[in-house]
Amino acid sequence: MTMVDVSDSVLGISGWFEDFAPGQRMRHARAATVGELEGSGPAKQVMNTAQAHFNDHFLTGSSLGDDRIVFGLSTASLVYGLASQDTAEHAVAELGWGRLRFLAPVHHGDTIEAFTEVVSVEPGDFPDASGVVGFRHWGRRQDGVVVFEGERKTLMRRRPVETGAGTTGSGG
Amino acid sequence: MSTGGAPDLDSFPIVAKGNKYEDFELDQVMAHHWGRTLTQADNVTFSTATCAWLPLHLNVEYARSQGHPDTVINPMLILCTAVGLSVEDLSESGGPFLGIDDCSFVRPVYPGDTISTTSRVVAMRTSASKPGVGIVTWRTTAVNQKGEPVVEFVRTNLVAARNGSAVATTRRKENA
Repeated sequence: MTMVDVSDSVLGISGWFEDFAPGQRMRHARAATVGELEGSGPAKQVMNTAQAHFNDHFLTGSSLGDDRIVFGLSTASLVYGLASQDTAEHAVAELGWGRLRFLAPVHHGDTIEAFTEVVSVEPGDFPDASGVVGFRHWGRRQDGVVVFEGERKTLMRRRPVETGAGTTGSGG
Repeated sequence: MSTGGAPDLDSFPIVAKGNKYEDFELDQVMAHHWGRTLTQADNVTFSTATCAWLPLHLNVEYARSQGHPDTVINPMLILCTAVGLSVEDLSESGGPFLGIDDCSFVRPVYPGDTISTTSRVVAMRTSASKPGVGIVTWRTTAVNQKGEPVVEFVRTNLVAARNGSAVATTRRKENA
């Protein structure tokens, strides 16, 4: 039997395996503007040597826009982050991604908002076992253009028994 | 034109980076440069910058309660680093990053682990609609310091040909 662990008091009330159902849709509450910290920063941190991500004069006159273009996986990581409280907080582990697609350019100063649909739920092999939740995520720019989509699979913990005592909300 | 006695800097030869379409061949395997030790600082910086405020990544007591020896490094940082290490070889002189498929996070990575990356060319063709441009697909694997796989994925990029006119109407382009 899955027992309540005091450490779980740091988790939100919702987001266990049982809380997801195929077709469920989420517009995540917080969007984020891409600045140095979210754009050129991660590109350089991960040693992505393509200077189009960190040289603001390199693409001048290009079809992608004059300014630095944000590394696609910086955007994907931001979408994962913006969706994470609602779709990853109770994860055992991230299993992987399928079909990550970068559909339109993102520039510094753009704001990215994250959307999620639950695609699948697969219970584990025995009643208390963690299950796999499949998500489809989208990232949308402030002008309504979808810039990113991807499918993600996560191994999700089941709700422990006797939940309630010691759990806290996630407001604020 | 020079000032202060500087030589004609525009005459200096550029130290070129990256590969062109003709530099790839099917089944070619490339071990990418540098490697990267991922630290707690990396994990915290990346996870907080991308709003991934998850206890598994940022609260070591919670991570330990789940059986981990330390915080679990944000898997998106692993994926980004695996791609980053491969960019000079695969896509620095190329074109737009088209996508990633079949990405599997094989095992957790902890602060202090060092990852290195290898890629194999699994498909390549020239573009019918864009002369001078190829489309190359690689299977990339990142391993930890024990040689154990940590992430595997398939990546596809546009890649400029040696005598290509670069991608689209771009004067100079790279967009790995």
